[in-house]
Amino acid sequence: MSRRLRIVRLILPMLFVGMWELAFRLELLSPIIFGSPSLIWMAAMKDGGSFLLAFRITIFEIATAAAIAWTLGIVVGAFAGSSPILARLSAPILSALISVPLVILYPVLIVWLGLGPPSKIAFGVLSGIFAIALNALVGVKGINRGYATMAAAVGAGKWQIIFKVMLPLALPAIMSGLRLGTALIVIGVVFSEMLGSTDGIGFWISYHRSLFNTGHVYLGIMLALLIAGLANLGLSLVERSYSPRIDQALPK
Amino acid sequence: MDASRPSVAASRGTVTVIAVEHLTKIYGAGKHALSALADITFTVQEGQFITIVGPSGCGKSTLLQVLAGLLPPSQGRVSIDGAVLSGPCPDKIGVMFQDAWLLPWKTAIENVEFPLMLRRIPRPERRSRAMPLLHLVGLGSFAERYPDELSGGMRQRVAIARCLVQQPKVLLMDEPFAALDEQTRTRMGSELLQIWEKTGGTVVFVTHGLTEAIYLADEVFVMSARPGRIIRRLRIDLPRPRTFDMIGTDAFGRLRNEIWDLIADGHA
Repeated sequence: MSRRLRIVRLILPMLFVGMWELAFRLELLSPIIFGSPSLIWMAAMKDGGSFLLAFRITIFEIATAAAIAWTLGIVVGAFAGSSPILARLSAPILSALISVPLVILYPVLIVWLGLGPPSKIAFGVLSGIFAIALNALVGVKGINRGYATMAAAVGAGKWQIIFKVMLPLALPAIMSGLRLGTALIVIGVVFSEMLGSTDGIGFWISYHRSLFNTGHVYLGIMLALLIAGLANLGLSLVERSYSPRIDQALPK
Repeated sequence: MDASRPSVAASRGTVTVIAVEHLTKIYGAGKHALSALADITFTVQEGQFITIVGPSGCGKSTLLQVLAGLLPPSQGRVSIDGAVLSGPCPDKIGVMFQDAWLLPWKTAIENVEFPLMLRRIPRPERRSRAMPLLHLVGLGSFAERYPDELSGGMRQRVAIARCLVQQPKVLLMDEPFAALDEQTRTRMGSELLQIWEKTGGTVVFVTHGLTEAIYLADEVFVMSARPGRIIRRLRIDLPRPRTFDMIGTDAFGRLRNEIWDLIADGHA
């Protein structure tokens, strides 16, 4: 990226914040509806750190949901993708599940798991796992059988074939599944906190919305954005540690 | 001939390495059953270079996969070095395919080391065993290249080195040079012979190229159309080392015609 582009990237948000604050000061925007940077700052100062607790809860829920959804999604998807029959059976089911509005399940999850973090984690897992599994399935299914035959011939066992050959070959597809799935998990967790819970950023936002604490609401939104940014950063780090593999595994 | 391996030359032609008894292979079952190989029996002696030719679809690739332990026989059995084969046997058998199937994220040298990595052999030892083989196949200076930076012929050389790193007694090759252009194919054939003369070992080489089959072999096995049987074993008495000008000789031409007639008959 050129230097100039980097500067523009830095200046644009600052310009946006400045205009936002200016519009508030000139009373062009209603502070109840649109908030303002200074209101958000005041909310953070007045709040006494409760937003940090909420932030921590949400991060914990997302991290747990992501760990479960990544592991299960990749394992299930790779397993289904390794057999043509299983793949043909499960691919339509997975793509159907992705388009189901999972929020209809949320009341049931609350009944089963209560209002605390477990129901949020469960909803997060459900939100992301199908996209991850489907991408892993497609990735593994697309691998030419010749690689597995070669690996068996040079002495690879069943698990070695999966972990040393098939999964690395499917890595580009798996990574795009993880990107999509993790975004859905973040949405799922924050959204479920807003629907019914006792803690977390989503809860914090909807609680302050009902009190018309607009500054707090916008602070919560900022934090939710920060979480999405952190998730993305984590994925980029994973991706970068594998990038030589991904670059080399891409079809030419 | 490598001075450290005089025993290969001495034992060549005396010890049975591959024994195939009443081998039958049928794909599927019932009405859709497809008989690929029918009652094949033969032996191969240590150090022999065998080529297998036959009309396309005659099951020569199937035969090789059964010999490699990659496909189970329907009836009969295959013994390698005295032990009945029940699955892949990488310590005794190296297999080469039409494609090199190099792992795209590994460099040439890492691909050669791959069989050793699977056996958890430490990296320094892997490297010290793999590097000489990469030199042997003429790719010493390409060790750090990735497969997509290598030509088709180079990729197959890496695959040869990957086979040899396991120090197999038997090398099974399923049309390994068929996807290469004719010049490269001819050159690879003669280089394979040089490597074979250095390392010893027994080679079974499936091809549909008659010239290649005669040029390489001690003995050519001719197969019939499906279900595949071995209809003739032809000794090739051309002196070794083989040279390209032998291909133009009358003796070579007669062998070629003879095999061609057999294949044409087998087809009819």
